[in-house]
Amino acid sequence: MESSASPMSTGLPLSLRLRRATLVALLLGLWAPCKIVWEQHINREQDYLRYRGAPMTRQLRDQLGQGLTIGVLSGMRSVVADLIWLNVSTAWMNQEWFRMGGYINLCMALQPRAPIFPDMGGWELAWNASISSLYDPAQPNVLRRIKASRFWVDRGLEIYLRGIENNPTYYRLWLDTALLYQQRLHDYRTAAYYYQKASELPGALAYLERAPAEMYGPHFLNDPESEYAEWKKLWFRLTPAQKAEKQHSAGQLEWEIRRLEQKLSIPKEKRVFPN
Amino acid sequence: MISSLNRIIVIGRNTLTEAVRQKVLNVLLIFSLVLVGSSVTVSQLATPGLDSAGLFDAQIKFVKDFGCGAIGLFGFFIALLSTAQLIPQELHNRTIYTILAKPVRRSEFLLGKFFGIVLLVALCVALMSLAFAAALYWQELQGLQATEAIYSQNPNWHTDPVLANAYNHDVQQIILQTRDPQLIEAILLIFAKLIMTTAIALLISTFATSSIFTIITTFMIYLIGHLESTAREFWLAGGANASIWQSGLVGFISLLIPDMNSFTIVDEILAGNKVPWSHALNLMGYADVYIVVLLAVSIVIFNYREI
Repeated sequence: MESSASPMSTGLPLSLRLRRATLVALLLGLWAPCKIVWEQHINREQDYLRYRGAPMTRQLRDQLGQGLTIGVLSGMRSVVADLIWLNVSTAWMNQEWFRMGGYINLCMALQPRAPIFPDMGGWELAWNASISSLYDPAQPNVLRRIKASRFWVDRGLEIYLRGIENNPTYYRLWLDTALLYQQRLHDYRTAAYYYQKASELPGALAYLERAPAEMYGPHFLNDPESEYAEWKKLWFRLTPAQKAEKQHSAGQLEWEIRRLEQKLSIPKEKRVFPN
Repeated sequence: MISSLNRIIVIGRNTLTEAVRQKVLNVLLIFSLVLVGSSVTVSQLATPGLDSAGLFDAQIKFVKDFGCGAIGLFGFFIALLSTAQLIPQELHNRTIYTILAKPVRRSEFLLGKFFGIVLLVALCVALMSLAFAAALYWQELQGLQATEAIYSQNPNWHTDPVLANAYNHDVQQIILQTRDPQLIEAILLIFAKLIMTTAIALLISTFATSSIFTIITTFMIYLIGHLESTAREFWLAGGANASIWQSGLVGFISLLIPDMNSFTIVDEILAGNKVPWSHALNLMGYADVYIVVLLAVSIVIFNYREI
């Protein structure tokens, strides 16, 4: 690969060297301001479109290690994130929840707009870590187990909410959050809000349209039996054909909920839409 | 004009033929094809998800990331190694004297060499993309089979409208991800980045005295290019508390080194996010203009180089 070429400037007259240097400087000098403006424009566009992961900082470099940092600097951010993600499984099998949480956070910092990380990461923390802590045989104190369990539910919720912030149109994150509020936190009003949001997004399953009504019905009304039946009417009032034709919108659902709240004289403090 | 173009084409074709005959590049290409193909195996290591769709989201993401990562990595090595030895090899074999003794301008020689490498990189990227498409198709088949296996555990899944609806939804999600037309956009962006790297390597090789120098310097510029946006922001913000040397260094980087980090937008496409074509074309336009500037500077330096 070595060449036998002589060094580039040996023997060239000074005038020619100066001419060459002037031409190169002129070309680069003309291009440099245009380059800066163009790059700023591209970056602004990317910021507007919510792209780009966390900037490379010393803290991120320390977390990644040397090899993975070079991977990120070589433009392989997604491959590095995937390799780190493989460690999540190992940490999960070893029940190293803090380590697992660290890996999940790192993946989300590298690729905040990859919804698969918060989708699965939130579930790992809010369900796997939380349930495991609740039934931890090494901890005899029930209150401490409940506290630890709740800690992991909160961490999972944080992951979901951060995921939603970065990927607001990914319906599964809204659905995951709704399930968490319903099944782990028992906050049905908030669960209904997330179900409704999920049902409005592209790719959502048709049954999600009924989920908010299911949340409001049995949990918020004084006479569950009769009013639940009323809500059920709301769920099933649409034919499958109507759903397929998308004649039903979230706006209509909200209107129905308001109408029913008024009809059933639900106290304002218990209403989903108090105003 | 046309005769000049003919000379560039002849040199380009010759460069491509020579490059294709090189064993190192063939070995690299074979490795890249193997790596793209093996992305399917790596994807099996992905954590099982919440449901069938969750599982295949992760696995498809792995195949896409490793496939495109291999195209970018091996494309980079192929572009770099083949460009770095263009001029030194011509000097070593003394073929450059024969060529330049003929009515061939140095600029034509350089452009011919550049377009030869562009063709080589295009050929390699096309081959790797075919392997990538095959890997994705295989992953899709795996996903569809596994989804059917999950749903068929319930004997009524064909007749139950809820289950049938969910099954169709999952199948649709898998197909949407594996046959995403945006992947073409991703590969074009990777190609634009590779050609920009080729132009940088060519520029360095016009004044370098060895291939090793070209390879190392280009690699460094490539790495620094991924930090250029950070340097530029620091420099434009005035660089508070920075010494004059630090400001000078980040200013130099901002003004001369290309912004490679903007091309990581490919990751967004691979994650399933929509990247408008207007933005991708803006990036490709930036790469094209940069290549033209780099070629112009290369021609100026090469014209005055004593051979």
